[in-house]
Amino acid sequence: MIARFRHWSGKELSSLLWHTIRALALVVYTALLAEAFVRLSDPQPVMPRYVTGTAWGVRGNIPNARYWHHTPEVDVEYRVNSQGLRADREYPTNKPPGVCRVALFGDSIFFGYEVDLQDSFAGQLENRLKEHGIPAEVLNFAVSGFGTAEMLQTYESYGRHFDPDVTIFSWSQTDPSDNVRSDLYELKYGQLVRVNAEYLPSVKFQDMLMRYRLYRLINDNSQFYAFARESISIALKNRLEFARIASLTSLGRTGDGPASVNGDSDILDSWHRIAKDLSSALVLRAHDVVVADGGDFYLVEFPERVTRTQIAPTIDSLSTAALSRIKVISAIADLSDAARPDLKLFYEKGEGHLTPIGIRVMVDKTVRVLSASPQLAACAQRSRTVLKTSNVR
Amino acid sequence: MLFNSGSFALFFALFLPIYFICRRHVAVRNSLLIVASYVFYGWWDARFLILVAISTSVDYIAALGSADKPVRENDVLKSASFLIVVTIASLSLATRHDWWLVAPVTAGILIIGLLIALIKRVAAPSQPKCWLLLSLTTNLGILAFFKYFNFFVGSATILLTTIGLRVQAPTLSIILPVGLSFYTFQAISRTIDSYRRQFDPQYSIINYAAFHAFFPQLVAGPIERAGHLMPQFETVRPINRQQITTGTLLFTWGLYQKIVIADNLAPIANVVFNAPDRQTAGATLAAVLAFALQIYCDFAGYSNMARGLARCMGFDLMVNFNQPYFARTPSEFWQRWHISLSRWLRDYLYISLGGNRGGNARTYRNLMITMLLGGLWHGAAWTFVAWGAFHGAIQVVYRVLGINSLIERSRFLTVHGFVIQTGSWLVTMSLVCVGWILFRSHTFGDAVIVLKDLVATTGYSSEVFLTLFAYSAPLVLVEIYQRASGRLEFLTAGPFIVRYTSAVILLLALIVFSAPAGQQFIYFDF
Repeated sequence: MIARFRHWSGKELSSLLWHTIRALALVVYTALLAEAFVRLSDPQPVMPRYVTGTAWGVRGNIPNARYWHHTPEVDVEYRVNSQGLRADREYPTNKPPGVCRVALFGDSIFFGYEVDLQDSFAGQLENRLKEHGIPAEVLNFAVSGFGTAEMLQTYESYGRHFDPDVTIFSWSQTDPSDNVRSDLYELKYGQLVRVNAEYLPSVKFQDMLMRYRLYRLINDNSQFYAFARESISIALKNRLEFARIASLTSLGRTGDGPASVNGDSDILDSWHRIAKDLSSALVLRAHDVVVADGGDFYLVEFPERVTRTQIAPTIDSLSTAALSRIKVISAIADLSDAARPDLKLFYEKGEGHLTPIGIRVMVDKTVRVLSASPQLAACAQRSRTVLKTSNVR
Repeated sequence: MLFNSGSFALFFALFLPIYFICRRHVAVRNSLLIVASYVFYGWWDARFLILVAISTSVDYIAALGSADKPVRENDVLKSASFLIVVTIASLSLATRHDWWLVAPVTAGILIIGLLIALIKRVAAPSQPKCWLLLSLTTNLGILAFFKYFNFFVGSATILLTTIGLRVQAPTLSIILPVGLSFYTFQAISRTIDSYRRQFDPQYSIINYAAFHAFFPQLVAGPIERAGHLMPQFETVRPINRQQITTGTLLFTWGLYQKIVIADNLAPIANVVFNAPDRQTAGATLAAVLAFALQIYCDFAGYSNMARGLARCMGFDLMVNFNQPYFARTPSEFWQRWHISLSRWLRDYLYISLGGNRGGNARTYRNLMITMLLGGLWHGAAWTFVAWGAFHGAIQVVYRVLGINSLIERSRFLTVHGFVIQTGSWLVTMSLVCVGWILFRSHTFGDAVIVLKDLVATTGYSSEVFLTLFAYSAPLVLVEIYQRASGRLEFLTAGPFIVRYTSAVILLLALIVFSAPAGQQFIYFDF
């Protein structure tokens, strides 16, 4: 190649150089123009996801990551500890004596997107439990984008080693489709079967990109990139979901055996049934595993915002059979009571997560429900005993 | 297949390289265009390819006969073979439930064959007229059955019931084939031009079939004249970088008009026109303005996309919209709006009726008939007829009062002229918007409610007008620039950096502001 250039005249080389510089300048100009256009015409929230692969085959938070989200409503800093948990401290695997552990498994809502650490569900819950005399330590295992299947996988492979007294899974509107799309589990004739060892969408690609400082700079600051990434991500999710719908419905693999599928509405109905059955089975499996470990299991329902004063339930996408066996914490009534036209319970210009006020309502309800938890009561009792013993010494 | 769909993007990406390879061989290129155009049309419903083929086969020989050229057995054979091949291909793609179509199609082919045999027995001087009649009967017959059968039967039933006769009218569940009004009008135009010796038809069914089904303009125009477009199918079209660049930019601007402006404004109009009795004056005014812009950007956008695509392939399609909302009189509006249809109606209907040659009364009558039928062309409903009648009536009033000539005489740069021209523009736009209310309303009752809501004074809120302003402001700026510079293709003006910046901003706007829910092209229904 270099030998070829040796035969070029100075004029040809300078022409090549000029064209290369011009092309590069055009690329930079286009990028700056795109960024300026988005910022001026339709400001976007910049909410990069700092996730990577884990040894247990699903996504996890990048250990020791420190990053920011900027939306038209908030600027939030996130710190992830070396264990991949959103926290400003490390947690020993063995539970210290006199401590009651609550483990949270969920998606970006539990993780605390758009709110500071102390305002997050974990932060507020820990403080409120302490106010109630429970020496609680709330461990936040949530990862943005998680469905129940990934929560279960994280609990079984990682979270249970921290010996939580109470385990809380989140439930939101995206979970049914997340559970089917991840293809980690499937229902075969009513039985929950593990079908794939891992679900790491785009993780390798993102890991590769995150090695470059320039990419991190763009990822953390560019509104145009945030818009493009979000649009592509939604398109890919829809495509993946469509492929899963096609494969599941055409194969007729449903919870109750082969299905007959006629027309689009049947396919959609069939899809909803598959998602409902699978999600219900996953929630029940999580419940059984946690209970078998000696913990107490709860499912927190995160409702959907319709308007500032209208809030819609999401729990109806689980079967009544599953709901009759698990303890659900639902704060729909509390949120509806708190809702006012001049009050934001949900953010409106980012990704629609709960505001600290909305989380406080949810946490109040959670604390009320947890006060009846036998495991937490027993733990609190043990803590008092430990405290007395140490005081006597 | 919609221009703004992923399937079309894939189709065109596969088509274009093959087109470039074989574009220098006219017969091969045109054969490819026929296949591509039939795939494009058949993507929607392959059964209706038979109608396109019937129109093509009949008009191929009818145009030759109308031009008093010999219609040889060889031509009839070519025409029949083309129709049979398309019919077999079309039915092979249909389901078993559609095999009953074989019977009517065969009967239709036999009837046409019989008519051709009869025409050939007619005395030579009368033959061109007979060929013309065959073309008119075939194309208008298809149009009348598929578009107007239920409308006419329904209207007749209502009329008979009104005068006290009880009738049980038959109604058929007929699907309106996409673009039927466009390609039948284009076919008729070529045969009439041949009859009038304004066009010399050639002996190549491949070239004609490619012209007839040319996919960029097959389903929503422009309704091209054979004299302009047909010669382009008979030669190798030169293609250079500038054509591809300007064609792509024109397509992109059309796409922006459609998916950013029209599709984002559609919900504002839909809310009101779907339930006009529950609206405020502000919402109604916003809806009327939104629909005026929606229908313009929807249709002009499609025309621009069609022209852009054709240009990338080396073809030149006519300008179909020339800033209609700058019109100062209703007749100027029709010289700028859907130009290909306006000219068609003028040349084949208005002039055929006598035009303005028989005194004022006949001119007004001809104008009214032309506009009534023009309204009916847009849809099988009395609201469209009323819309056409309204436009006919206001043109008559303008002529009677001499307003057209008054405006023509006034000079914009004088105070007097400025007041006259601005005032006449405002009046014309108000009249056009009133026309759109008739056009968009489902019933006359709905149109009356919308008109009543408009004159109320309550319920104005800024929110809906802000959305309207946000999507229409860039269009207004572009139109003003186009008007001032005299360049409709504004993206090709200025130094490189200006053109590049404009193109990038347009693309970004397309990406960022595309309507979440795409709307069907309005004119597909006509």
